[in-house]
Amino acid sequence: MAINFGYFMKESATSFRRNWVMSLGAIITIYLSLLLVGISLGSGMLLGQVVESFEDKVSIRVFLKDGAPAEQVDAMQAELMANEMVATVAYTSKEQALEEFKARLMEDSPEVIENLPGNPLPASLDIDLKDPRNVSTVVEQIVASDNFMAVADRPDDPAKSLEYGQEVVEKLFTVTRIIRIVSIVFVAMLAVISMIFINNAIRIAIYARRKEIAIMRLVGASNWFIRTPFLLEGTLQSLVGALLAIGTLSVLYFYILPKLSELMTFLPLSMTGGDALQVSVILVVTGVAMGLAGAMLAMRRYLRV
Amino acid sequence: MISMRNVSKIYVPNKPPALDDCNVEIEQGEFVFLVGHSGSGKSTFIRLLLRELLPTRGQIVVAGQDLTKMKPWKVPYLRRNIGCVFQDFKLLPNKTTYENIAFALEVIGRSKHVIRTQVPEVLRLVGLEEKMESYPDELSGGEQQRVSIARAFVNRPPLLLADEPTGNLDPATSLGIMSLLNRINKTGTTVLVATHDREMVDSMRKRVIALEGGKVIRDQDRGVYGYGD
Repeated sequence: MAINFGYFMKESATSFRRNWVMSLGAIITIYLSLLLVGISLGSGMLLGQVVESFEDKVSIRVFLKDGAPAEQVDAMQAELMANEMVATVAYTSKEQALEEFKARLMEDSPEVIENLPGNPLPASLDIDLKDPRNVSTVVEQIVASDNFMAVADRPDDPAKSLEYGQEVVEKLFTVTRIIRIVSIVFVAMLAVISMIFINNAIRIAIYARRKEIAIMRLVGASNWFIRTPFLLEGTLQSLVGALLAIGTLSVLYFYILPKLSELMTFLPLSMTGGDALQVSVILVVTGVAMGLAGAMLAMRRYLRV
Repeated sequence: MISMRNVSKIYVPNKPPALDDCNVEIEQGEFVFLVGHSGSGKSTFIRLLLRELLPTRGQIVVAGQDLTKMKPWKVPYLRRNIGCVFQDFKLLPNKTTYENIAFALEVIGRSKHVIRTQVPEVLRLVGLEEKMESYPDELSGGEQQRVSIARAFVNRPPLLLADEPTGNLDPATSLGIMSLLNRINKTGTTVLVATHDREMVDSMRKRVIALEGGKVIRDQDRGVYGYGD
């Protein structure tokens, strides 16, 4: 086996020297497609975090009218707690709302609030959902509820008594879905193109060595012995492409991503080393799989042994 | 060594078969000429023995193995037992004499030690030990054919097939090649030579199998080329 391995490496190297243009073409297409795979995987992970952070912020706030009877508020709260899509319900009193408001917005000019004649902020029920995607369903249920009508701040216009990040969530989901579909389509196309390139590179390698192959068959070289150098060549090409892609992605990861998250502090743009490693492993595995598949394809078509 | 029973090979349906119901038995250690015009089926005969082709009908047994029932992955192992020589030598132009022969051993996984001892030995047998480092285009046709025979024989196969080995060579050189094949035959290797070299066949007085239109029309010990033309 030791002799054989040396032989195969030598053969692959020779073949690469002989048609380096085609090999380079194969390597570059693999590199590009894996780079795209990596970018879409990585940005998918980042987007996932962004979506999650927004999801955390998505809660439904039901504004209560001043002086709503406590038992009806309790009933409303109980009704919400009974809803299986709801995770938690918290009551915020008028005073708490004002404190929050002060803390959030009026740090610099507390006098604005001090000068208010009363407390204009309503009490509210803050509802967190188990799955933010159910927002609109829960909102509909709330609006249809009699308890809600009894306690709502403005029963004449239910929409104004409710506040929720419905649109943000829906837009984010749409955006991520589109990005996902587009990147899958691109990656699939590039994967096909790289397979074609590898297929072609191997075909030319087979053609360049047709005399050797004919003699190998004649003297009884086994099929795997004839095939292995080509499989190895395809695998090496894709491995080089994968390593280049990982190199480029490392640059993005170590230099560009920190700058990006500095620029956009409002978005949680960070990726753990574990995630980055996972992406690298996926790239190497997909790359090698594509290389092997391309080489096998070429051999099935051009190297019948 | 070789046994063909009712073998037919049809390449294109409804066209005359390349081989038509051939029955041939060749014992171990025999030297046999296979003669016939171009298109008489000689090459098909050889390719069937190498299992490059499967017969349309009939049974072929080579070295005790039924080729019609042989699993494809076993074919390389069959070919290791069959040396093969062709009219066009089939040498690799970018390899020296030594490397060309070593290549045949390398690709069937022989060790470096075996290669280093067997290659010079077989080159001595064919009388080319001086030309070990020459490339094929530095050799004459006869020398190239000797290299090709050395490559076919380096693995000491029990059967040597030669398809028109002297087709590209002048009569004097051909004689040398034939006597080399004869010498190989004396070591116990069965030799089958497909040829239309009349003088050669007539002078050697070996067993002659004649093909015409894909049929065996004559099988004669110590025969001559025959055909009235």
